[in-house]
Amino acid sequence: MAPGPVLTAERLAVARAGRVLVDGFDLELHRGELVAVLGPNGVGKSSLLATLAGLLEPAAGRVRADGRVAAALQAPALARRSVRANVEVALGWWGVPRRERAARAAAALAALRADGLADRRADSLSGGEARRVHLARAVALRADVLLLDEPFAGLDPPTRAELLRDAAAILRDPARATLVVLHDRAEAWALADRLLVLLDGRVAAHGTPREVLERPPSPAVARFLGFTGTIREPLGVRCLRPAHVALDAAGAVRGTVAARIPEEDGVLCEVRLEDGVVQLRAPHPGPAEGDDVRLRIDGGVVFA
Amino acid sequence: MEFLVNMLGQAVERIADGDGAIWSTTLRTLRFALESTLFALALGLPLGFWLGEARTRPRRAGTVLANAGLGLPPVVLGVFLALLLLPTSPLGRLQWTSTLPAVILAQTLLALPIVVALTAAAVAQLPAGLLDQARAYGASGARRSLLALREARVGVLAAVIAAFGSALAEVGAVVIVGGNIRGRTDTLASAVLLDLSAGDPAGATAHVLVLLGLVLLAGAVLTVVQQWAAR
Repeated sequence: MAPGPVLTAERLAVARAGRVLVDGFDLELHRGELVAVLGPNGVGKSSLLATLAGLLEPAAGRVRADGRVAAALQAPALARRSVRANVEVALGWWGVPRRERAARAAAALAALRADGLADRRADSLSGGEARRVHLARAVALRADVLLLDEPFAGLDPPTRAELLRDAAAILRDPARATLVVLHDRAEAWALADRLLVLLDGRVAAHGTPREVLERPPSPAVARFLGFTGTIREPLGVRCLRPAHVALDAAGAVRGTVAARIPEEDGVLCEVRLEDGVVQLRAPHPGPAEGDDVRLRIDGGVVFA
Repeated sequence: MEFLVNMLGQAVERIADGDGAIWSTTLRTLRFALESTLFALALGLPLGFWLGEARTRPRRAGTVLANAGLGLPPVVLGVFLALLLLPTSPLGRLQWTSTLPAVILAQTLLALPIVVALTAAAVAQLPAGLLDQARAYGASGARRSLLALREARVGVLAAVIAAFGSALAEVGAVVIVGGNIRGRTDTLASAVLLDLSAGDPAGATAHVLVLLGLVLLAGAVLTVVQQWAAR
């Protein structure tokens, strides 16, 4: 018989200051899984995480845990002492015997490649280093369920990419279930086995990242996932990501470049069509505003 | 000018000669200040920590009340306490009128808002989410308080300095509730009134000099401790 879920939420409602932020939230989290909750800022993800962690009372529904749940909150709040002491103190809060703390702290810091920071004072760390230590401290607890709130928030792209790579390896642990709250799609693709998209207080999509990206269940989810283009068709509205559209002199679709935004590796162009508007990425220098162009469209999803 | 120099000279001479009255008043003042500061810390630190984590309206209201208490005129508290301690009043059964416990109570109540307000401000300045994170990792209330005390130690020591200084120098409430009885309930600050009314300006100057020395010494010691703690 397959082992049961280690964390279950049933018809959970989350409220802050009397305002319901999330409603009807169901979840079953199993050991070994890494699940991402993805949603825009302000949708209630952090409050949801606090409720799952038992820090906030549910407004309705219930949460059941078959083991210990630890939540690493969004701010990498570290005490004014050494990095090593911060991890060891957290292990003390968690109830780890004093004799085991030093070894566990050292192992977690090494796993996150933060062992070189162990003797540094926490208030001397850069933002990226503090996030790395914050994550190491969470991993050191060896909780049955680890909840992470935006663990990569506020980092510059290279630092984020580096931490994301390390975290993806460390967080995948057969003994632990991990739920991570994110607002950045790229982070979710890099980390998650399973994805829940939270929009307007409800789970709007659920599946593997690939399933959700290839078959978003609604136009709202599609828009949130970067389907920025829409074309009206006889059967409905086709939603398109920039990757579905390319400049092609032999293409069947005509349009006019309405706007262009230079990017590092090319130009993001917005093209107005007779029945809609699409975005595409072209290599430098790309077409100019007002140019008539022909496009090839390959993919997208149609909503009736 | 000559009169002032003479007074200072006589005052210094009395201090140096070990005037028994001055030194017994000094010891009594220190005892009052220490005890009232300890009581104020025992009551005020937990309250300050609780208010410092304020997220609800009642807690914010408590912080406002503590801040308002910083400006409470001692004489108002003194009169209020004296009325409460009258034989026919609610606290009359204690029979504390013109006694040491009444002086310590008055000084404690004056130091309490200082401890509460400064501690709450220090806790509110802690890194965002530190105490919440401790809670999320299973820290008990006592452990969170210890964490807050350690992390906010510079602000808490400022509260100790201010409370002790206030207790040392307090006059109004001490005179009203303690009766300012020479050798029993007078302090260095209130003894000055007795000296002046008895026509002993040298005695008043001696008390003032000792008081000034104590305030400077206590402030210096606590400031050194505070600077050490800030490292």
